[in-house]
Amino acid sequence: MKDLDTILIIDDELQIRRLLQITLTANGYNTIHSVNGKDGLIDAATQHPSLIILDLGLPDIDGHELLKKLREWYFKPIIVLSVRNLEEDIITALDNGANDYLTKPFRSGELLARIRVAIRSSEKNEEVTLVKAGSFSIDFADHIVRKNEEILKLTSTEFSLLSLFARNQGRVLTHQYILKEIWGYGYIEQTQYLRVFVAQLRKKIEDNPSKPVFIITESGIGYRFGE
Amino acid sequence: MKKVYKNSAVRLKNYILPIIVIFITALFCSPLANTQNYHIVSYILLFVVSILATVFGTGPVLLAASLSALVWNYFFIPPHYTFHIDKTEDILMFGMFFLIALVNGVLTTRVRRQEKLAREREERTNILFQLTKELSRSNGIDQVLAVTLQNISNHFATDYFIILQDGQGSLNKYGSLPDKKTLTGDEYNIARWVFKNLKKAGKFSDSLPQTDYTFYLLKGTRLNPGVIAIKQEEFFVEGEELFWDTYTAQISNALEREFLGVLAQKASFLDESDRFYKTLFNSISHEFRIPVATIMGASDTLLSSPNAVNIREALYDEIFKASLRLNRLIENLLNMSRLESGHISVRLDWCDINDLVNKVISDLKNELASFNLKVNIQEDMPLIKIDFGLMEQVLYNLLFNSCEYAPDFSEIRMDVLYVSGEMLIYVSDNGPGFPEHTLQDVFKKFFRVERSKVGGLGLGLSIVKGFVEAHKGSVMVENRNSGGARFTIRIPSADPEFKKLQFED
Repeated sequence: MKDLDTILIIDDELQIRRLLQITLTANGYNTIHSVNGKDGLIDAATQHPSLIILDLGLPDIDGHELLKKLREWYFKPIIVLSVRNLEEDIITALDNGANDYLTKPFRSGELLARIRVAIRSSEKNEEVTLVKAGSFSIDFADHIVRKNEEILKLTSTEFSLLSLFARNQGRVLTHQYILKEIWGYGYIEQTQYLRVFVAQLRKKIEDNPSKPVFIITESGIGYRFGE
Repeated sequence: MKKVYKNSAVRLKNYILPIIVIFITALFCSPLANTQNYHIVSYILLFVVSILATVFGTGPVLLAASLSALVWNYFFIPPHYTFHIDKTEDILMFGMFFLIALVNGVLTTRVRRQEKLAREREERTNILFQLTKELSRSNGIDQVLAVTLQNISNHFATDYFIILQDGQGSLNKYGSLPDKKTLTGDEYNIARWVFKNLKKAGKFSDSLPQTDYTFYLLKGTRLNPGVIAIKQEEFFVEGEELFWDTYTAQISNALEREFLGVLAQKASFLDESDRFYKTLFNSISHEFRIPVATIMGASDTLLSSPNAVNIREALYDEIFKASLRLNRLIENLLNMSRLESGHISVRLDWCDINDLVNKVISDLKNELASFNLKVNIQEDMPLIKIDFGLMEQVLYNLLFNSCEYAPDFSEIRMDVLYVSGEMLIYVSDNGPGFPEHTLQDVFKKFFRVERSKVGGLGLGLSIVKGFVEAHKGSVMVENRNSGGARFTIRIPSADPEFKKLQFED
């Protein structure tokens, strides 16, 4: 039987740590706790956690700084869990290598889902060739997208965009990141391209484009590809 | 008590001139001296005395009358160069002449004086009327002072100053002084004395006369605005001081009015901020207590009655709902404080309005479940440059409001259009609308419709207004004819130029 995944919680609030411990343990994870950034760095290095839940408001080190330090050598998922809900903070955290970002107060169900996605995607090492999501599938090798077994006609940009989303299933991608990946550095401010293509793509792949389930908007941040 | 002060040079001139005139007239008439027509001279002299009466006062006229009688007697009535009169008829004539000259002179002077008084009265009334008019048109202490200063130098002395109190009952040292005038210590002390003793002082008065100025109190009914000092060579003549008192009373009234206005404003400001904090704390504690009470009560029940399985679900649900409500309160307070601090940064970016509306609807899907929501977004809606997060909050608050107030299963509409450089969003519901007299207060902080059954801090709509205005847009509300409220949001946004671009790669 596979060992339980260990999750490191770096948070100075006792009540949050307790809540996380109860919730995570009940859902089959081991937890370890650090109450400040310094301990967090040591625990991350010595305990080899499968995932870190990081609070940005720590007593000793600024959360963004800690995130950067961790990312120098820690390559497993980090989920930021913070009361800071400004878009700037979220984008900075994602840019600094956070896999996901949840603001307090959060819903436990949501957190568990994000944890599952993050751990699963970090365990996938081999190059994905086929992604299935609900009623449609993407075959990366053949550049074919099927919906309800029908082949969808996508432009090459649409396909690149969809591939990018699908390879990062469940993960928030910032506007800038997507623009950089698909169009290149020079287009990093051209959000309008992204808006138009996302709207086009939704019309093709979503059952109801006004209630998207695949390409989900993260207000002011970017998009997340739903499962 | 009043010390009438007259210039002796002027007084002397008033007597000398009539004498000269009489003698010149006599000289002029000298050819008639030795004729039988010396009676004519008396008529000419009478005429001259009458003329003099129109110009000079009683004293000079009496002098002129007596002098002319004597001159006529001495030079013209035979025997010449004596005061002796031969003929009885000439004695009678002389007596008559003397009387007529006197009566004539005195009567004319009196008529003239009355006329002068009437003219002065009219002039004063006019001055007062002008002053009142100008004062009533002026607003603020500075303007009242400016009008006053202009007016005094037009009608009274050019050397004067006003020292106002500071609004707290003590005299301000600097007051309103004319250019180049500095208050000496003595002058300041006299002014303070006047202000304290409520009596005039200085020159031409009983108190502290060792100065060039006369100090008068500007007297009000509830507070005394200050002291006015005026420098005059001679003191007011009869009636003038009374006029001056009336005049300064007008000024006092105007200044007092302004002082009281300032005080009332301060009081109402204090009152308002006081009320604001009371409302704030009352509503915050009330609004927070309800969900906290729910959470405490429900969790307590869960802990103390572990066997009540049938109600467990319902209690969990209550706790969850209460926490959502608390979260909404905190969000609103945070947003409000962002707005209040003025540090709201608007990150404008091209956004797909469909995306925005869908996001809000999905955030509110539980609340909207019991309504008939109709969304209508213009077919070829261009991308709009907005801050997605802020506008999401705006639409969220509007829709949430409708959900709170409109009856279940009623229709809530959202229409979005783009018309000539402007995005228009209409949100309308079939709720009770707003009482007409409150329509202009709807967006004010902590505004709540009276006797409303729905809870809340009354911040939602003021956040809507703040965020929309941060986009240089506007929001208004009206009651629909068919009932319910309709909000209109206008956000300026240029048509995106890349609309022309091809997006088929």
